[in-house]
This record gives sequence, C-alpha cells and structure tokens, in this order.
Amino acid sequence: MMPLLRPVAAVWLALGVLFAVELAGAFTGWGHGFGGLLLVPAAVMVLLVGFFFMRVRQAGRLARFFALAALFWLLVLLGLGSIDPMTRTVFPVTVTRYP
Amino acid sequence: MSEAHLHFQYEDIEHQSDSALDGMWLFLAQEILFFGALFFAWLLNRHYHPLGYHRAAQQTDLLIGSINTVLLITSSATYALGLRFIQVGDRVRLFRFCAVTVLLGAVFLALKGLEWHEDLAKHMNPGLYFGLSGPDAGGAQLFWCFYWVATALHGVHMAVGIGLVLWLLAHIRNGAYSAAWHTPVEVVGIYWSFVDVIWLILYPLIYLVGRPG
Repeated sequence: MMPLLRPVAAVWLALGVLFAVELAGAFTGWGHGFGGLLLVPAAVMVLLVGFFFMRVRQAGRLARFFALAALFWLLVLLGLGSIDPMTRTVFPVTVTRYP
Repeated sequence: MSEAHLHFQYEDIEHQSDSALDGMWLFLAQEILFFGALFFAWLLNRHYHPLGYHRAAQQTDLLIGSINTVLLITSSATYALGLRFIQVGDRVRLFRFCAVTVLLGAVFLALKGLEWHEDLAKHMNPGLYFGLSGPDAGGAQLFWCFYWVATALHGVHMAVGIGLVLWLLAHIRNGAYSAAWHTPVEVVGIYWSFVDVIWLILYPLIYLVGRPG
C-alpha cells in the first residue's frame, strides 16, 4: 500500500508548502502593487497538478497536443489582448482620424 | 473482462480508452479558453482600476477561500489515490477514496454557499445598493462582478464534478471497474483536477492580490 501512497502524498505535501508560501507572501507585501509574484507559487501548483494528478505526460500524443494548443491560445488571448492597455503609457497611441 | 466494454467503432480497448481521454482533453482545451476570457477580464480591469480592485479584494473572506483551497488540493490527491488503487485492481479502496473526494467537494460547495451568503450580507453585490462608496467604488464593483461570475461558474463545474464522481460510485458498487478497464475513472479524474487547477488560479486573483503587506 505504501508505494502507492507515497508519490501522491509527496505531491500533496508540495502543494501544501506552495500554498503556505503563497499565503505568507500575501501578508508580506507580495500582493500589493503588481501582485504578479503571488502567481508564481500558483503556477507551480498548476504544473504539479497537471503533471502528477492529470498525468499529462502519460497522456497520448493527441491529448498532449490539445493541452499545448490550449496553453498557446491562452497566451495569445492574454498576451495579445493586454499589449495595448499595458504599454499605452510607454508608447502613446496617436489617434488618426479620417478626413 | 475489458473486451466486454469494447464498442464496435474501435479497433481495440486501447483505442477506445485513448479516444475517451483525448476527448476529455479536447473539452478541457476549450474550457481553458472559456476561463481564459475571465482571467483576461480580471487582468484588464485591475490594470485600469488597481485601487478599486485592492479595496474590493480586502472584503473577501480569506479564511473560507483558504480552507476551500486546501479542500480542493486534498480532493485531487484522494482521487489520484483511488485511481492508483484501481490500477492494481483494488475496487474497495477506489470506492472509499472516491467517496472522500465527493465529501470534500460537497464541503467546498457548502462553504462557498456560506461565503456567498456573507458577501450578500455585506452588500458586495454590484448595483444600486453596493456596500462600498467613494472614488474607487466603480473599480470595486468590477472586481465583485468578476468574483460572482468566476465563483459561480467554478461552482457549477464543481457540482458537475460531484455528479460525475457520484455516477462513478454507483458503477463501482456494481463492480464496473477493474485493473484492466477503468478508463471512466481516469477521464473523470482529469476533469476533477482541472476544476482544482481553475481554483488554484482564482484563489490568488480573488483573495491574495491586493492584500496589504
């Protein structure tokens, strides 16, 4: 029984530690200002769940392709969508009007 | 035993199993984009209304949110254990771990219901009677719009997950799964952990970002 329990318990403990780091980070000022630091432990937790509980590595080629494609389009959605609002103060947009 | 579950359109049981898993991953791919639009709304509105977002985030119930995070992490682990046991043919332990998973999911939803009740009591519903006022109230209302939509959609996904695991429990009782055939257990497990993943992203966005140090 122990060989079956051990790997899952290890991942669960790692998730618990990351959760504690995330929570402690919120009270040490990580969450103020940009707050992006708080998303680092969350991103590692997502990877742990993906690799060990959703077993993405053991999935077939097509399933892995679907997972990667979803991440790619998510990056396009978040990245391309936020380029303008995030950089407008750095690179002001000149409004041109049709005559 | 496993060949008894083979549907006519598949070459063999492995082909059938791979198709089911691929289908779930394809479904989850569109779910990622579905929730991605919500995350984008958070990113954009927080960029334009950082003070309103921070003020609103401080009204959320960190204790309930944190307990719920631990519950979901644990439920993914208990489900993963159940899957490991059926891989060696232990149907009794699969049943027990699935039951624990359902219980944890139900407690999550109950706590979420309690939290929603408290939020409404504090008038954290955007609209005419919103509980915050001042120059940042507009941004705070946008945060709470995100909160209600995101947690409600996540709650619906949790309820579907609980329904799926209950359905599995009924089949396990009838002796449906074995070491040779347990694809539905794998498919539901991927969905359950995905719901966990969405919460792991929502948790810092709702409860942590904006907390004063």
